[in-house]
Amino acid sequence: MIGSFPFGVVLVANRGEIAVRIIRTLQKLGLQSAVVYHEVDAQSPAVMSADHAVEISGKSPVSAYLDSDQIIAAALSVGAGAIHPGYGFLSENAAFARAVEEAGLVFVGPSPEAIELMGDKIRARNFVARNGFPVAPSAIEEDDPATFLQRARTIGAPLLVKPSAGGGGKGMRIVRDLAELDDAVTQARSEGQRYFGDGRLYIERFVERPRHIEVQVLGDAFGNVVHLFERECSVQRRFQKIIEETPSPSLSVDLRKTICDTASGIARAAGYKNAGTVEFIYGRGEFYFLEMNTRLQVEHPVTEETTGMDLVEQQLIVSAGHQLAFKQDDVRSRGHAIEVRLYAEAPERGFAPTTGKVLALEYPQGDGVRVDSGISQGQAVTTAFDPMLAKIIVHAPTRSEAIARASQAIEDFVLLGCETNAAFLGRILGDEGFGAGEVHTGYLDEHPGIAMGAVPDEGIQRRLLAAAALLTRPVRDAADAIPALHASLGSWRN
Amino acid sequence: MHHTFDIGGEPHAIWLSRLPEGYRLALAEGGSAAVSLVQTRSGEGRLTVDGSSEPIAYVVEGDAVYIHLGGRSYAVRYVDPLVALAVEADAAGHHIARAPMPGVVVSVKAVVGERVVAGTVVAVIESMKLETAIRAAQDGIVEKIHVRAGESFDRDAALVTLCMEGI
Repeated sequence: MIGSFPFGVVLVANRGEIAVRIIRTLQKLGLQSAVVYHEVDAQSPAVMSADHAVEISGKSPVSAYLDSDQIIAAALSVGAGAIHPGYGFLSENAAFARAVEEAGLVFVGPSPEAIELMGDKIRARNFVARNGFPVAPSAIEEDDPATFLQRARTIGAPLLVKPSAGGGGKGMRIVRDLAELDDAVTQARSEGQRYFGDGRLYIERFVERPRHIEVQVLGDAFGNVVHLFERECSVQRRFQKIIEETPSPSLSVDLRKTICDTASGIARAAGYKNAGTVEFIYGRGEFYFLEMNTRLQVEHPVTEETTGMDLVEQQLIVSAGHQLAFKQDDVRSRGHAIEVRLYAEAPERGFAPTTGKVLALEYPQGDGVRVDSGISQGQAVTTAFDPMLAKIIVHAPTRSEAIARASQAIEDFVLLGCETNAAFLGRILGDEGFGAGEVHTGYLDEHPGIAMGAVPDEGIQRRLLAAAALLTRPVRDAADAIPALHASLGSWRN
Repeated sequence: MHHTFDIGGEPHAIWLSRLPEGYRLALAEGGSAAVSLVQTRSGEGRLTVDGSSEPIAYVVEGDAVYIHLGGRSYAVRYVDPLVALAVEADAAGHHIARAPMPGVVVSVKAVVGERVVAGTVVAVIESMKLETAIRAAQDGIVEKIHVRAGESFDRDAALVTLCMEGI
């Protein structure tokens, strides 16, 4: 495949670990890599490892990475033939994808039409339902405001009331007793108005203790679509994924096949090309389409570890106009993979963001251990970007071996100078419920003790004080000022 | 002389003295141990406490000592004796607890009019990502609280004023 790309230079319109990860594949394929960067990232590993780096500016660092004009100009200036958007930022922006194509460049991702279809949650849901795939029973106010509440009642409790324009859980209400529906609708409407300037609502069946199951799909321009099996991402807090794994510990062989085939079917119906992820809510034996992400996911490495496939390479192959080189039957999932996300935040203090400087950095090593990191020693950790610092991905023959390997990798990960959620990740992996595969998206809220952790015990405190005392100049100097002989004489006198 | 280190907002007073080999660590909260630290390479060493050894990684930055030990990272802060006494008295018998460094107020523990004894935690602040308890330097009555939880302040800012009269 090397040499058969219609582009020789690919610009990565992203930063952090995902930029590093994409550059790694470009290098493997013999393609040149380019990145854009805001000055705060000038010393970042992505900038250091790319063949070309172009500085972009903005009112804030984030706004620079959202500036499509500057990014396209940067791509043209280094002779790039394609732009890979990574995840976040402009990755699901149809206008950007269109502008990239209009500039004569290849957008490494799906068509702008596919991004638009899946980006509109209600349109996407209706599309999926129309094609005969399962969606949660729901009532949309806009369809007919007069019968909205009546239609909602017909679905039956429990219900989830949410603002149509919403996101991030704001304004959402769970109704377990239909007598409370009217109040919930009034409150959700006022919150929707307040947060989004739009009081229209959407009500759907609420799945109690839902699990988040998603399926990786890959399509080419010739109508071929395959799935690369599922990932379970039920360990979340405030809708933020923390730990992901594959295979899901909660699916039977039959259900796994049904969900994965459903995802392929949805992608095929949408004429989807490139990598994408179809997300489902699963609970009590039923699953419903949630949404489709039209990009590479943060957690894609677990799929790479179990299938042995390089998803960025596949994205580039498809974007180059080639056919997928394999069929569904060729895709195999081996062993178990887990990813944990290292965040600059303090779970013990309500997940408050932490800042600092990376003073010491040492990655875990060993068989089946992979670290995707965008940080480097000496780098400042600020609140300018998402607090994710790195991802630790492990692969092992079984789930319990993968959990043990992940726990060890977290312990071996040395990052000093900025507080992280490492100990919290270790506590989740050691949690009995997690070990038994009994988590759901509300699990951490139901078990707040996991976030709290324990105060270091006396033995650890003593070791910390010993190390700190021996490492603190004034303390050691004061001790050294009195020779041991005198020190011991002193104690004899006592 | 004793030294104070802060772990997670809790102060720990210690004494360090020489032994013929290594050092002796004594804790105000009780107990002592023979301790030593041998550097193995830059930023790494072997810590021995009462005969049991383990590898550690560390960085010293200002008065913060960052230590990776037993699979976890910790931050321990050396409380400079001069800063620890950053509580000043004025002629009118007021004592003002001042911020040892810039930071954010995590919580205010005292209420105006409350009678406190020396050592009572009057506020908890966060500086350099470390929580520190600000304690009353001596017995008194809380006269004024200058900050609120969530508020940020500069070094030397007044946090709590204690009145010594009527004690």
